[in-house]
Amino acid sequence: MLLNTATKYTSIPYIKHVHTVFSRELKKGSTELLVLALLEPRPRHGYDLAKLLESRSGGRLALRVGSLYPILVRLEDKGLLTGRWVEKPGERRRRFYRLTAQGRAVLSEQRSVWLDFTGAVNQVLGGERV
Amino acid sequence: MSDWKRGIRENLDLRGLGPTRQSEIVEDLAQQLDDAYRDGLARGMSDDQATAFAWSQCPDWPGLSRELRQSRRGAIGVLGRLEGRAYDAEVGSSRWSAWATVAQDLMFAFRLMRKAPAFTAAAVLTLALGIGANSTIFSVMSATFLKPLPFPDPDRLALIWETPAKASTDTNISTAPRFWDWQRQNRTFEHMALFDSAGKGYNLGASGALREAEQVSGVRVTADFFSVLGVRPFLGREFRQEEETAGKDRVVVLSYSLWSRRYGSNRNLVGQPIRIDGERYTVVGVMPREFHFQFWSDERELWVPAGWNDGDRSRNSHSFVAIGRLKPGVTVAQATTEIAGIQGQLAKQYQEDRDVSALVTPMGEFGLENVQRVTLTLLAAVALVLLIGCVNVANLMLARGAERRKEFAIRRALGASSTRLARQLLAESLMLSALGGAAGLALAFWASRVLTRILPAGFATLPMRPLDAVSLDARVLGFTCLIACVTGVVSGLVPALTAARDDEGQPLKDGGREAAAGGRSIVRHALVASEVGLALVVLVAAGLLIKSMTRLIAVDPGFDPKNILTAEISVPQVNMYYGPPEHPRFCEEIEDRVASMPGVLSASAAAHLPLRGNAGRGFSIEGRPEPGPDEDGPGGAYTVTCPGYFRTLGVPIKKGREFTREDRLGSPGVVVINEALARRYWPSEDPIGRRIRIGRRDAADWLTIVGVVGNVRHWGLAQDTRPQLFRPYTQAAWPFMRVVVKTVAAPATFAKSVRHAMLVVEPDRPVSEIQTMEAIVRGSVGTRRFPMLMLAALAGLALILAAIGIIGVVSYSVTQATHEIGVRAALGAQPWDVLWLMTTRSMSWVLVGVAVGAALSSVATRLLKGMLYDVTPADPVVLAIVVGILSAVALAASYVPARRAARVDPLMALRSE
Repeated sequence: MLLNTATKYTSIPYIKHVHTVFSRELKKGSTELLVLALLEPRPRHGYDLAKLLESRSGGRLALRVGSLYPILVRLEDKGLLTGRWVEKPGERRRRFYRLTAQGRAVLSEQRSVWLDFTGAVNQVLGGERV
Repeated sequence: MSDWKRGIRENLDLRGLGPTRQSEIVEDLAQQLDDAYRDGLARGMSDDQATAFAWSQCPDWPGLSRELRQSRRGAIGVLGRLEGRAYDAEVGSSRWSAWATVAQDLMFAFRLMRKAPAFTAAAVLTLALGIGANSTIFSVMSATFLKPLPFPDPDRLALIWETPAKASTDTNISTAPRFWDWQRQNRTFEHMALFDSAGKGYNLGASGALREAEQVSGVRVTADFFSVLGVRPFLGREFRQEEETAGKDRVVVLSYSLWSRRYGSNRNLVGQPIRIDGERYTVVGVMPREFHFQFWSDERELWVPAGWNDGDRSRNSHSFVAIGRLKPGVTVAQATTEIAGIQGQLAKQYQEDRDVSALVTPMGEFGLENVQRVTLTLLAAVALVLLIGCVNVANLMLARGAERRKEFAIRRALGASSTRLARQLLAESLMLSALGGAAGLALAFWASRVLTRILPAGFATLPMRPLDAVSLDARVLGFTCLIACVTGVVSGLVPALTAARDDEGQPLKDGGREAAAGGRSIVRHALVASEVGLALVVLVAAGLLIKSMTRLIAVDPGFDPKNILTAEISVPQVNMYYGPPEHPRFCEEIEDRVASMPGVLSASAAAHLPLRGNAGRGFSIEGRPEPGPDEDGPGGAYTVTCPGYFRTLGVPIKKGREFTREDRLGSPGVVVINEALARRYWPSEDPIGRRIRIGRRDAADWLTIVGVVGNVRHWGLAQDTRPQLFRPYTQAAWPFMRVVVKTVAAPATFAKSVRHAMLVVEPDRPVSEIQTMEAIVRGSVGTRRFPMLMLAALAGLALILAAIGIIGVVSYSVTQATHEIGVRAALGAQPWDVLWLMTTRSMSWVLVGVAVGAALSSVATRLLKGMLYDVTPADPVVLAIVVGILSAVALAASYVPARRAARVDPLMALRSE
């Protein structure tokens, strides 16, 4: 049952939903890697992460909360992240996610795998150089 | 701006996740939507646009719900759903809310137990041992003296005794003529009967398919015997009145087990003849399967009519036990008054009845004192062990309670009352004790089987109460449930009260630990002190019994039991207890056949073996005035022996000689006495050559004393020796003799050859009960050995439990005091200073426990008085040894965890908070 307020949907300037650049599966698998990478420097909360993803990718990767949140939950279930409620004065408390030691290990491993993979793909796609 | 959480809850379906998890997800999403909303506002959207933007972040609610439901964290199982329902019920209608809170408590307790398996295992094991031991002892009680007599209307059954004076409790068995007078004149008994107090073995002859003779235990009874007990034969009939007279008494009633075992459950056996003691008896009845009769003996397998002989007709011949069934509504006291009154009249009529009165006692209470005393002592001991176990569990719970203080503080802040928290803890301890009770029952099941095999003979031969097996019946189950509940309350009480009294708010702040730890630690140490005290009581009791046993088996029995084989043989004669023997060459043939076998040093026989009791006779001494009518004449224990008996048994002959083959029927009558008799009646003269006359009948002959032998403990190692006189078998026989064979070595290996040799001496009269003399000596102390072994085992258990308790408390104290240790170490304390500190702290409490326990034990061990031999309950040596052992064990138990304290790194300790 969709929310009643959805009928009040009006056109929204600025935000483009880019979903043709990459196929869904490709986006799904690599998003987890990206989330891990974005959390590497410091812990972040959910919406912050979504915005960072969008800005770092130049708008090409935009995930809504409804898509990003299950990823965070999945990663937390696997033990790669842990979430903590943080209360700042004057604000509602937010759940901050950070990498666990296992998460860091997986991240560095997946990074090298990704680089290998993309390097191989690039080599093949690049064709023969004259 | 809208209510994010409400909207999320309406759209998100998170069934299957726990309420905590659901709230978490909702809050997280709500916050993110709120962030999106603000972001929208920041980008210049209107309120409506920003709200719509925020909601657009979750376009696919079903998909999102699906993905989140797959999250395994916080998923609840059956237990959680039940808890959820209980929670709803509590908030809902009040009718179920009380049950709901109890159910919540129990489920919460179950959860906690699953989360802490080590704690649960330790607690359940401790309780299982304690509860199981209690159930086992109770099952022995239930199988022995808590059972009513196995006869209809057992409250109406009574025993009738002769006593030396009115209202005396010094009971004696009855004589037949007196009984006939009571039976004729009384109006309070429905039926009365006699049975022979000793009974004897009856030799069933080989016949037809039954090629082997067999000796079975049987007893003479009067015609009303079965009517008194209220059980009729299921085949055939009881005895008739006229069958009591000699000549008409060649009828027999068989027991069910004899009938099925030897006669193949032949329903046509009634009316058929069988050979008993070489004579033709007609089977007139068979008793039902459930009927068992034993009294001062093993179970009887056949009953024959009394067949009065001359000896029985004397008013002085005490050979029978009188039983009766009271008329409905008549009390034992009324019966006593009546029979004593009748006896009072008889006393005026008969010379022999002058100093005789009568007493009636309930049959259900007879013969239980010893078993009751032993079992109740053991029950007290296992109760103490269980109490120690409860203290251990309470300490365990207190330790966990300290870890859970934050949890309790939060719950208290959320509105839980102290009572509620206390109830929670009680629920936990009840759950532990329920599990412990179940495990304990399993233990008791196994233990009761083992016990059935090692119970001493005194338990198996309780009068009228044959013991088949110790089992767990409904009574035992009920008892186990009861003590499991009590245990749960007792072990949960102190933790519950401590949690209820906890200072609110303190534990939420860090550093609040120490203040609370100090108070709680006193409670834990006090509990340990109480454990030590209880353990001391059990140890002292065990020590006293052990010392008593060592004193007992060191007693000189008066003979040499080594390498002696014994056997019983039934040699019937007309005048049962007065002779003369039917087979006068009995003793000679034993010597010829048995003593001549290779490896046999000597062989003889006597009517009563040492440590197995004796008959008794009064006598008068030649040349001394007969005692007046109101005085007790001389008397002594009496038995009959073959020549060479004293030599075979190793009893020293102090003066004169023992019997020889020359002492025959027709030779001058002789008698041998023991030192005790000689000292009592001839203190300053030589008794050899003096003459006595047994019985007051003038027809009796004068007997010459020809020998004085050393004292033998005939009534048990613990009993003093009594005056005793012996007669030769050839002159005054006995229908049931015990053969003694002294061998070179390994007496048990001679069993078969002795059996064969005796069959030559007495064909158709097989021997039975072949045992070595040493086994008999061992068996005689069996009734003491059993409680001693049990109590020693319990003392060991108590010691182990107390040690575990001490280890637990000390290691916990060390953990709690880590900070303090760090401070001390930083200030210059050496490792062994710290060790000393921890150890002395613990030991000072142990010593408090020892002092309290010593005081307790001086009171408690008075209960043991009847079971001790040559040891006082307040024996200081035993107490000193026990205190030493307990202190040493406590010291070791304190030292081991205290060593950890000495190795604490001061910096780490100071940093830990």
